Amino acid sequence: MLDALGTLARLGLAAVWLVSGAVKISDTGQTFIAVKAYDVLPSGLVGPVATAMPLLELLLGVLLLIGVGTRWVAVASGLLLLVLIAAIVQSWARGLTIDCGCFGGGGQISADQTQYPQEIARDTGFFLLALWLMIRPRTLFSLDGWLGKGSVGKSSGNSAAPADDYSDEKSASL
Amino acid sequence: MGGAERNARKRRQAQQAAGSRGSHAGASAVAKARGSGDNRKTIAVVVGVVLVAALIIGGVLWTNASKNATEGQQIPVATSQPFAAGVVEKRDGVVVTTGKPDAKKTIDVYADFLCPICGSFEAQYQQQIEEQINAGNLAVRYHMVPLLNTRSNPEGYSLDSANASLAAADAGKFTAFHDSLFKTQPEEGKRGYDKAQLIQLGTALGITDPKFAETINAGTYDNQINAEFEKTSNDQALMQDFGQGPGFGTPTVAVNGKAIDRSGDWLNQVIAGQLG
Repeated sequence: MLDALGTLARLGLAAVWLVSGAVKISDTGQTFIAVKAYDVLPSGLVGPVATAMPLLELLLGVLLLIGVGTRWVAVASGLLLLVLIAAIVQSWARGLTIDCGCFGGGGQISADQTQYPQEIARDTGFFLLALWLMIRPRTLFSLDGWLGKGSVGKSSGNSAAPADDYSDEKSASL
Repeated sequence: MGGAERNARKRRQAQQAAGSRGSHAGASAVAKARGSGDNRKTIAVVVGVVLVAALIIGGVLWTNASKNATEGQQIPVATSQPFAAGVVEKRDGVVVTTGKPDAKKTIDVYADFLCPICGSFEAQYQQQIEEQINAGNLAVRYHMVPLLNTRSNPEGYSLDSANASLAAADAGKFTAFHDSLFKTQPEEGKRGYDKAQLIQLGTALGITDPKFAETINAGTYDNQINAEFEKTSNDQALMQDFGQGPGFGTPTVAVNGKAIDRSGDWLNQVIAGQLG
């Protein structure tokens, strides 16, 4: 049951990254404008970030889709989401009127079109999906499963070894 | 608890473990014979690394190609209608005035060569404007504003193209140059045209004066263009509300120094004196 929930979280987060990355890479000019509008990076970094971000999102999406290294991909996803949330918060706090560009669009918009609370709430929701997968990365239909990572019943470690019984040695040293 | 008992307990535990590991060992030996386990991991890792590398390399190549779409291109020449007799085109500072000296009405057009809405404006109205110029009804003062100068990748296309168009005005080819730049406009967020390409366009239009290339390469009018833009963007009469309160944006058409609303049949209304 929890595995099934985890699977939904994993596939849901994968869909988020794949769609977000695909939309961004299909309009590289718009992505550049969107990153520039945050007005937070030094101008020399805007281009590289605008190139790298869609690729990173697609990569995370693919890794989540096939379910490999789920825990670590979830950690990376969570970190990226925290950075994005922070970027939206800083533009809101500074009074910029921009669209976050998370799923296309981006750049300057009119003040009554800004949707900062909704964008932050949505990204926080995605973060919760990543959080679940960080804590409990076991899911169904995953490459992790095929490789046998979760096959012995525990999420990691050599769970087939007997637990050490230290009580003998302690009492023996008395 | 004695050492002997401790060792016995340890031996029993080890045996249990060995027992379970033994069955595991047996199972994995069978599995290995079938080519899974470690082999699976190796295959998965290799395939994974190859896929990731392909994704990243492919992605970067694709993004750069998309961004640099204008690289190495020749800016195509736009064929504009020739001017009627009596039409004068002259640079005055950083403004280019085109029209017959006794034209009925004068409009100021503020545009940025990178601005996509200016591109649409040009596509929609430039031919009509040129017809009205030829008919002696209209004179146009073209103001090239580097509003989006930071929005090309690399930066600077708006300013370079503005400067180049002024150089073209000095060589008597402003309208053809201006129309060509708008006809095949670079996209925002992407590479514009570099100075060599702008010079190439001038050559294709028949400009032979070496001063043209010098002016473009030296950015002769850059400071003036920026200073003028500073004044323009602070001019209250030119501001319109694009949704963020009054501000200066492009394209702006002004009559008698005041921005006009371009909805409907504004051009004919201006000429008839009904607007502005």
